[in-house]
Amino acid sequence: MVEFDRSAFIGKFQEEATEYLQRLNEGVIMLEGDPGNRELIDQMLRDAHTLKGSSRMVGLLEIADVAHKLEDIMVKVRDGAMVYTPDMSDGLFEALDMIVFLCENAGKPVAAEVDITDLIARLAVVSEGGKSDAPMPSSAPTLSSTAGAAESVSEAVPPDSVQAVREEKLQSKAQNTVRIRIAQVDHLLNLVSEVVISQIKAEQRVKDFRRMQGLVNEISQFWARMKAQYVSLLAERGDQLGDDAEFLGEQMADLKRLVVMTAKDYIDDTARTSTVVADLQEHSMSLRMLPVSTVFNAFPRAMRDLAHQYKKDVELVIEGGDTELDKKVLEEINDPLVHILRNAVDHGLEPAEERVGMGKPAAGTIHLAARQEGDHIVIEISDDGAGIDPEKVKAAAVRKGYITASEAKAMSDREAQYLIFETGFSTNAIITEISGRGVGMDVVREFVVKRLKGSLDVLSTPGEGTTFHLTIPLTLAIIRALMLRVGDRTFALPTASIEETLRVSASETIKVEGHEVIRRQRRTVPLVRLCDVLGIEGAPSDGGKIPIATVGFSGHRIGFIVDSLVGEQQIVIKNLGTHLRHVDNIAGVTVLGAGQVIPILNVPELMENGRRMAGMRVRESNGKKNEKSTEPKCILICEDSFTTRELERSIFEAAGYKVETATDGALGLAMLRDGLKVDAVVTDVQMPNMTGFQLTKAIKSDETLKHLPVTIVTSLERDEEKAEGIDAGADAYITKSVFNQDTLLETVERLIR
Amino acid sequence: MSEVTSRGFDGFSDAAIDILRRRAESLASEGQGEAQVDLMSLLLFRLADEWYAIRIESVREIYNDYSITPIPRVPDYIRGIVNIRGEIVSVTDLAALMHMSGQLEHTMDAEQSSVIVASTEECVSALLVDEIGDIVEVPANALEPSLATADRGQADWVSGSVYFDGRLVGVINLEKILTPIGENE
Repeated sequence: MVEFDRSAFIGKFQEEATEYLQRLNEGVIMLEGDPGNRELIDQMLRDAHTLKGSSRMVGLLEIADVAHKLEDIMVKVRDGAMVYTPDMSDGLFEALDMIVFLCENAGKPVAAEVDITDLIARLAVVSEGGKSDAPMPSSAPTLSSTAGAAESVSEAVPPDSVQAVREEKLQSKAQNTVRIRIAQVDHLLNLVSEVVISQIKAEQRVKDFRRMQGLVNEISQFWARMKAQYVSLLAERGDQLGDDAEFLGEQMADLKRLVVMTAKDYIDDTARTSTVVADLQEHSMSLRMLPVSTVFNAFPRAMRDLAHQYKKDVELVIEGGDTELDKKVLEEINDPLVHILRNAVDHGLEPAEERVGMGKPAAGTIHLAARQEGDHIVIEISDDGAGIDPEKVKAAAVRKGYITASEAKAMSDREAQYLIFETGFSTNAIITEISGRGVGMDVVREFVVKRLKGSLDVLSTPGEGTTFHLTIPLTLAIIRALMLRVGDRTFALPTASIEETLRVSASETIKVEGHEVIRRQRRTVPLVRLCDVLGIEGAPSDGGKIPIATVGFSGHRIGFIVDSLVGEQQIVIKNLGTHLRHVDNIAGVTVLGAGQVIPILNVPELMENGRRMAGMRVRESNGKKNEKSTEPKCILICEDSFTTRELERSIFEAAGYKVETATDGALGLAMLRDGLKVDAVVTDVQMPNMTGFQLTKAIKSDETLKHLPVTIVTSLERDEEKAEGIDAGADAYITKSVFNQDTLLETVERLIR
Repeated sequence: MSEVTSRGFDGFSDAAIDILRRRAESLASEGQGEAQVDLMSLLLFRLADEWYAIRIESVREIYNDYSITPIPRVPDYIRGIVNIRGEIVSVTDLAALMHMSGQLEHTMDAEQSSVIVASTEECVSALLVDEIGDIVEVPANALEPSLATADRGQADWVSGSVYFDGRLVGVINLEKILTPIGENE
C-alpha cells in the first residue's frame, strides 16, 4: 500500500474539529443551566457523532474512542436513561480537552503523556452508571493533570512556559502562511478574469493593426506606381511634379513608418502582456489548487475498512497524488470516488477463492490514478475483478423494460455498459446480479456531470476488470468554446465535447421513424434542431448547406443543427448571477471582447434534452408508464443529509413520483401545515430542529394530516428505537442498512394504495 | 397639491414632473424640520400607469446603458441578463411578474427604459420599470398594509402602501420578488 500521508488531511480535520469542539464546550456550559434542553442535547449528540466519524476517517482513533464515549453519554441523556447533572460536566470537559490535545498533537505519539484508557474507563463509568448523583470517580486528581491537556505533558514544566511554547509555535506557523477567505480569492479571480477579457480584446485588436499595416503598405505601393506614371506623363509635357504631390508622398511615407512602428510596438506589447496575463491567470488559479492527495490520502484507510467490511483482500495503488485540482472541484470529488471504490470492492472484486480458481492473485488490486490531460484531469479507478457482463446488463434492462429485445440486440457492448448510468437503473434490484445494490452509478454520474461539468465513462472486460474514467475540467473558469448562432442569438458550445462540425446538404440527411439522422463514420447520428431544444426561434432555412455540430457525451452522439457556426475562441466562464441559480441547458455566460454577453450551453443537459427530442431517450421504468394517465403521487422527503435526500429523491422521481423535500422535521411540518398536498411522507430520524419521531407524532395528532402514511428511514437499528418509531405512529420503519430502492418504493407504494 | 390628488402622475410632461419632484423634495424637507420622526426613503417608479416604490436601502444603482441578452427557458418575467461592469445580473420585468395590465405597451419600450439594480441579501437583479421617479422620505410608520381589495396576484408582491402626495403608492416586497430561480432543480 502507498504510504498514508495523513498530514494533508489532518489539517482539514483539525479545522473542522475546532468548530465542533467549541460548540460542544459551549453546549456543556449551557446544558448545566438547562439540562432538559432537548434541542441542545441533539445538537451535541450530532457533533460528537460527527467528530467520531471524521476522526476515524483520518485515522485518529484515540479521538474517535473518546468521542464515541461522549456520544454514548449523550444518547443516554437524550433517551432519558440518565439525567444530566452539573457534576457530569467535569467528565465531559475532560473528554473535550483530551480531544483538543489529541487534535493538536495529531499523528504524534502521546501515549506517554496522557492516559486515554483511564479517561475512557471513567467516561464509561459515567455513561454506564447512569446515576445522576454518582460523583466522577478519581475526578479530582486527574482533572488537574488533564484539564489543561498540555499541563500533563510534564509536571516539571510550569504551566506558564508550556503556554509560551504553544504561543511560539502558533507564531512561527503564522509567518509562513496567510489564511485568506475563499470569497476573497474568488473576488480576485473575478478581477483577473476581467483582465483576461481585456487581454483577449487586445489580441483581437492585433488583427486590426495587421490589417491597417497591410492597407498602408498597399496605399504607398499604389502611390509609388501612380507617382511614376504621373511623373512620366508630366515629363512628356515637360512638366514636373508639384510640391504638394511631393509633400503628400513624404507624408504617406511618414504615416507608413508610424503605422508600422505603432503596430509593431502594440503587437510586441500585447505579446508580452499576454505572457504576463497568462502567468497571472495561472498563478491566481493555482491559489485555489490543491493536490488530489488531500482527498486520496484518506482512501487507504477507508479502503482497509471497506475490505474488512466486505471480507475481501484488497490492495489499493495510488498514482498521481500530486496532480493539482481546483479546491472547489476537489471538495466535490470525494463522494463520487468513495462510491466508485465501494462498488469496486463490493461488486467488482470476486471472493478470494473464486479469484484463485480463475488463476488471479487472491488479493484484488484497485488502481486509483490521477493525471492531467490538457485542461482536464483524468481520474481512473480500475479493478481486476469480474467486470461488467454486457449480456447480463442487456438482459436485465430488457426485463425491466428500459429497452426492447430488438434494441438490446442492436446495442454494442459499450453502449450496454453505459446502461448502468441510466437513471434509476443501477439502484434497481436487477443490478444486484451485476453490481449490487447501494448507491447507484447514476447518482455518481449526476454528481460528476452536474456539479463538476465533467464526464464519467466506463470500460469493462468481463473476467478482467472494470475501469471508470472521470474527466473533469482543471478549472471551472476558462474553456475553449465554439460560437454558434441560432436565430438572432449567439451561444457558446464548449469545444471539449464537440466531435466535429460539418455542413451537409439537405439530401444527406435521412429520415428514420420520423426523426432526422445522418451517417458519420458508419454510425448513425440523430439530428436535433438546437432552437427546438432551447425553445427559441431559429432562422428559416435558406436551402443551402446545413451547419451541424456533433457532440459526444457519455457514449452518445447528437448532431445539433444550428443556423451558423461562427468560430472557436477561449472564453471566461461566469455564472448567471445570484438571481438565476440554474437555467436548463445553460451552464453560464461569457463576456466577449466587445462587452457582448453570450450564454454557454450546458452539454450534459443539452444531450439529455436532445436525446429526448430525438426519441432516443431510454424508456423510463414501467411503473411510470402505467401511472401516466393519473396524476403523479407526491412524496415529502424530510432528510438533513444532502446525499441521502438526493438519493431518495432520485429513486422516487425515477419511479414517476413528484418529490418535495425539507431539510428537517420542522420545515417539513411547516410545509404540510401550509397546505402542501402530498400522498406520503418519508423521514429521517436524526435531524436538527425536529426529529423524525417528533414529526411523525405531530402529523399523527393533526386532524387534517393524520391520514398521511409516514415511513421512517433511519440508521438507528436498536429495537427500542424501532419501538419509539411505531409509538410515534409511523406506518413503516426502514433501516438504512437494509435500505435499497425496492424496499423503499414497495413500502411507500403499499402505504399509498 | 390638489391637482396632483385629482389627476395623479400620468399625463404630465417631464417639466411638470420636475416641478412635482421639487415640491416633493421641499415637502420632505419640511417634514424633517418639524419633528424627529423616523423616516423611510423610497424610490418611486412607474409601471404602466401606476406608481410604486422601493426602499432606497435595496437600490444599488440606476443603470441606463445596457443591452439585454435573452436566456432561453426562464420564467417569462425574466427578460434576460445584462453585464454591469463585469457582473452578470438578471433583468426582472416587474410588470410581467405582477401581471399588470398595460403590459403590452410596456413591452414595446423595454430597451429604452432605465433599470433599478436592486439587491437583497440573497441576490441582485435589475428591475425593468417604465419610468424612474423621485426619492422621497416618508415617516417609517406611514407604511400601511396592502388593501384587502387589491388584486390577489399583486398583493403578494407588495408589502404595504404609503400615502404620498395624496396617492396610494405600493411599496414592493423585494424579498418576495427576488426569490432565486432554479435552485431546486
